[in-house]
Amino acid sequence: MKLSLAWLRDHLEGDLPAAELAQRLTGVGMNVELREPVPDDEVWDVDITSNRPDAMNHRGMAREAAAAGCGHLRPLEVQVPEGGVATSELASLDVEDAQGCPRYCARVIRGVKVGPSPAWLAERLARCGVRPINNVVDATNYVLLDVGQPLHAFDLRFLAGQAIRVRRALAGERMTTLDGIERELVPEDVVIADAQKAVALAGIMGGADSEIRDDTTDVLLESAYFDPMRVRRTARRLGLSTEASHRFERGSDRAMARVAADLAAELIVRLAGGEVAAGVLDSAPTLPVPHQMTLLRQRLCAFAGCDIPSGFVLQVLAALGCEPRVAGDEITCTAPTWRVDLELAEDLYEEVLRHFGYDRIPSALPVASTEPGKRLGSWPLTDRAREALVLAGLAEAVTYSFVSADQDGATAGSPLAGRGTPVSLANPLSARLAVMRRTILAGLAEAAAGNLRRGAESVMLGEVGRVFFGIDGRPREEERVALVVAGRLGGWDRQGQADFLDLKGVVEAVLGQLGISAVTWRPAAAPVLAPGEGAEVLDGEQVIGVAGRLADPVAAGVESPLPLWVAEVDLGCVAAAPRPTMRPVPRFPAVEADLTVRHARGLPYAELTGVIREVAPAWLEDVRPVVQYEGEGVAAGELKTTLRLVYRLADRSLTQDEVNQAHFALMEELSRRLAVSFQ
Amino acid sequence: MSIEVLHRSREEFLAALTAAGTDPEGIEAVRVRFAGRRSGLLRDLEETLKGLPREEKPAYGKALNELKRLVEETLGAAAEAASRAKASTGLDVTLPGRRPLVGSLHPVTLVRREIESIFLRMGYSVADGPEIEDDWHNFEALNIPPDHPARDAQDTFYLPSGMVLRTHTSPVQVHTMESQRPPIRVLIPGRVYRRDSDLRHSPMFHQVECLVVDEGITFGHLKGTLEAFLHGLFDPSLAVRFRPSFFPFTEPSAEVDITCVLCRGAGCAMCSGSGWIEILGSGMVDPRVFAACGIDPKRYTGFAFGLGLDRVAVLKYRLPDLRLLFGGDERFLRQFGMGVPA
Repeated sequence: MKLSLAWLRDHLEGDLPAAELAQRLTGVGMNVELREPVPDDEVWDVDITSNRPDAMNHRGMAREAAAAGCGHLRPLEVQVPEGGVATSELASLDVEDAQGCPRYCARVIRGVKVGPSPAWLAERLARCGVRPINNVVDATNYVLLDVGQPLHAFDLRFLAGQAIRVRRALAGERMTTLDGIERELVPEDVVIADAQKAVALAGIMGGADSEIRDDTTDVLLESAYFDPMRVRRTARRLGLSTEASHRFERGSDRAMARVAADLAAELIVRLAGGEVAAGVLDSAPTLPVPHQMTLLRQRLCAFAGCDIPSGFVLQVLAALGCEPRVAGDEITCTAPTWRVDLELAEDLYEEVLRHFGYDRIPSALPVASTEPGKRLGSWPLTDRAREALVLAGLAEAVTYSFVSADQDGATAGSPLAGRGTPVSLANPLSARLAVMRRTILAGLAEAAAGNLRRGAESVMLGEVGRVFFGIDGRPREEERVALVVAGRLGGWDRQGQADFLDLKGVVEAVLGQLGISAVTWRPAAAPVLAPGEGAEVLDGEQVIGVAGRLADPVAAGVESPLPLWVAEVDLGCVAAAPRPTMRPVPRFPAVEADLTVRHARGLPYAELTGVIREVAPAWLEDVRPVVQYEGEGVAAGELKTTLRLVYRLADRSLTQDEVNQAHFALMEELSRRLAVSFQ
Repeated sequence: MSIEVLHRSREEFLAALTAAGTDPEGIEAVRVRFAGRRSGLLRDLEETLKGLPREEKPAYGKALNELKRLVEETLGAAAEAASRAKASTGLDVTLPGRRPLVGSLHPVTLVRREIESIFLRMGYSVADGPEIEDDWHNFEALNIPPDHPARDAQDTFYLPSGMVLRTHTSPVQVHTMESQRPPIRVLIPGRVYRRDSDLRHSPMFHQVECLVVDEGITFGHLKGTLEAFLHGLFDPSLAVRFRPSFFPFTEPSAEVDITCVLCRGAGCAMCSGSGWIEILGSGMVDPRVFAACGIDPKRYTGFAFGLGLDRVAVLKYRLPDLRLLFGGDERFLRQFGMGVPA
């Protein structure tokens, strides 16, 4: 908020230099962000927190300054020269919606001459960012900035029946506000109406019909207290925020409603002449019993962690208007009408501590609990997955948790993404960020494609994060790890592009780090993957992941210049992986024997080795591929696979005879069962 | 005419040298043939110069000099190459190696783990909670009732059901207090969401929240803990400043500034010339929050603070733009490796 230093000093007795004043206010939480020198004055931009509507005016700020030791708050003086005619003879007041409007004060000034404001006033308003309009309206704005009470001036001529009725809006009622916009109202809105129609949106904006004009002579001045919640709801619904609504919705000063009516009436007569009618129409002259709070100084000191002298506590609370009364150890305070934020003893602690100075409170460390800190929830697992990505050579990425509906649709065809319905946002920022992701693949593919389009030769990205589903109308979150590889992988002198086996190797490396080494792979026809180039990853019978080449339409959707090899694994399935224990390291040498098998193309490697493991003796330690060959010398539709078989006994060395015997028996059995031949 | 002879000689020389390869004798033969003192071709060409008409001499002389220099330098390089070839073992250790691709953690992960490690050592646990929250945990229990102005500051993403994408990590404070009795010392990192997008705001970002609840926790403890934390995270020489502020869930509340990490307080663009950087919000847990979570506010006090992990990453790694963090650009992501050891 913009404040004038000279105006502030009108309320503050004392001559502290401006810099010191600004520094002290900042120290107590009124952050003076900017000081701009202007002729004979300074304009300050002060950041006032939303709990302090009472400080959003010059007098309120001066009160803070006084409490911060910058001088004394001058008393507020007001003397309204009243005429002989009673206000009640000129206008009537009826508050029907007392919940929406707990207090309404009205004064009438007759015979004003509307014209421009004097320069000093126009300039003060302008310095605080308020456009001068005419002397009557300016007087109300001046009082608003002076003491924080929003006011409204009606042209009495245009109030039908010279009546003010404060009521709920009627369903479908319409009115045109000062800004020229016609608004449709709902019964939740509080309106100021005359005998016929709504003439103002209570606490937000006046109506166009009854505004002050050049030829206005009789003015009805409104100074009220409106329910913060009601003002706020209406302001929000209409997307209308004004100086008045800003203050009312945070809570204005119920007592000030009456005082400000007098201040404004006095100022209007000074600026525009006329005569103030006798008396005020006041719907609720009696204020509610003020809230009391009790503070124990020992507790305050224990809360702060240091001693705060009793004298200081009382001085601050008094300066803030809390009227502290001491009885034994207790200090009882009254919440001032302008301080809507003071309710509990802790609220008073804050008042005392911020004025005492946070910097003066000595720092200490709380006594440590002897229990060691633990990582709880999914953190141990998700961080293990992140480390696994890094060990497999991937760069960890973080992509948005929301995708477009199109992306969601394009990537939904995966056993992992299809676990529930999409969770859409009711108020997305844009269509691109409208649906919570059900798979990380959409965002990751987009990131990978971006790298490739920028000319990267290869991409290896991974992400660990949550996906979201609706299941029976309830949101469900699952932790996932996803990755994408593409382009030319390996050393600078390696040729060729990434393929399925590159992807599978990376996935297996990641799973291995997560303690899952015995997964099986089977072809999968998930629509998110290219036909014939995708697989499901199973742990036992359970599908824990998908992997393969991203389906062409999806890759085209992210404009990827190269095929993208993607995989996603549900981390929920790996949470229970046991801590590995050591397997014995072999003590005796192995015997290796290569076996070149000529077989039909359709025979999966897993089946070939599965049969081998089945028929070979238990001391076949390992089977691994050495080379696969097709082409010259191999019939069409056939493939030559060279395997290396590793034989080893745990308790003694094998003899060549034993190995030969087993190996030949194995070959015989294989050719019988799988119709394969050997080189 | 005579210049053409020079050109031809040049071609002949280069062809002969290429044919000689790295054979030292072959190279020596080429040298004798072209640059031999007695009968070398260059010598013959010099003789030709003498017999030329006056007007042709400058051009011919210049071309001849160039040819002489070429022959001399190229022969030198060839001899050097020949001796290297002889000495070579066949391994060129200056060729780039085939690097195993080394992965990298995201800057936000690095910053988070650094912060976690500071607090784990101080006996705090690290917790998490749902990213889709109900209104109670995200707002009401934190003393932000419906229609409260504080909801303006956190533009919220809603689901049609009325649930929200959490706007801060504070709801996990509520979950923690609802499920656990004091003493509580917990750190809560995670993704959060606000309906805001520009150079300094992303609709998704990361926060880390800290909550301590016990008997006898003081404002001084809040200060001491924050100073220890910020000195550990940035630099023990940084000044830490506490300014009174307002958050609905703490009372009193303090905004915490540190000396600008870039200009060290001198004033620069990052700190808008003030020398200070706003780094986090903090305060003593509001008794209304305790009451909402079923913790006796008469018996217990506590403090809480929260800060943006992305902002810490921006400060620590000097990022010009928050959006780099979520763009997945490997040229950016691979710069950070595993970070520095904590």
